[in-house]
Amino acid sequence: MRPALERLHLIEQQLLNDPAALPAADWHLRQLLDSELATDTAAQQQLYHGLRRAGRQQLRHELRHELRQIHARLYGGHWAWLRRLWPM
Amino acid sequence: MPAPITISLPPAPPAHALRQALLADRERALTRLYRQAFPAVRRLVQRQGGSAHDAQDVFQDALVVFYEQAVGGALVLTASASTYLVGIARHRWQHELRRRARLPAETLPDDDAHLAAEEPEAAPEPAFAVLDYVERPGAKCKEVLLSFYYFQQPLAQIAVAHGYRSVRSATVQKFKCLERLRASVRAAFRAETIEY
Repeated sequence: MRPALERLHLIEQQLLNDPAALPAADWHLRQLLDSELATDTAAQQQLYHGLRRAGRQQLRHELRHELRQIHARLYGGHWAWLRRLWPM
Repeated sequence: MPAPITISLPPAPPAHALRQALLADRERALTRLYRQAFPAVRRLVQRQGGSAHDAQDVFQDALVVFYEQAVGGALVLTASASTYLVGIARHRWQHELRRRARLPAETLPDDDAHLAAEEPEAAPEPAFAVLDYVERPGAKCKEVLLSFYYFQQPLAQIAVAHGYRSVRSATVQKFKCLERLRASVRAAFRAETIEY
């Protein structure tokens, strides 16, 4: 991978607690030697946060569609007609 | 002869079994929950002056919240799943009644914003919404990123689904997509900073 992608990978290992993540002391040392590492790490954390929100939004959209279909299947059509006769 | 030793494993916790059922066949598990819990929610809502449509909205909101908790591993069941689900729906309906008492002309909103109160955000709100830029690296990139970072699909599965030759290719592609997303966000942030 290109060095820029390797850097994303390195930060990801730390943020997602990958088994290959550096020990805390080593990571701290890296941050001391690389002045932009802390800023890049914070930015990447924000990306993950945004992605999780986007994922949640997409999931909700999909679920709502599925739930409307389930409702129609269970309570639409002749079930709705029966319920009008015998409300539960 | 000594009696044979039998080891009985404890049954899986109900929330764990439910999570497995939702992941294995979401539609079937949701249909079952719907059938078990919706009639009680409809009775509750209609007894308190709500319509059948209100009951449907409240129940579906509750089921979305319930699903996220169950799949995210945050659900702790001390009663049956349907009892818990009715409890969430009751809470949401009470909340809605109080809201209507303040703003009587409005009905339940259609968007997801009103669900936000159900879910404490672990991380603070980003300075600007990454959410707005997730579409920019392209549809395929968005799918790869969400599959990995939100739906937690293994890279092997992502590779097959998106036609990458190997896990390695999928990994490289995922980081390229992440890089593009970061570039979009940075460009937007720079533009905003210059505007001010």
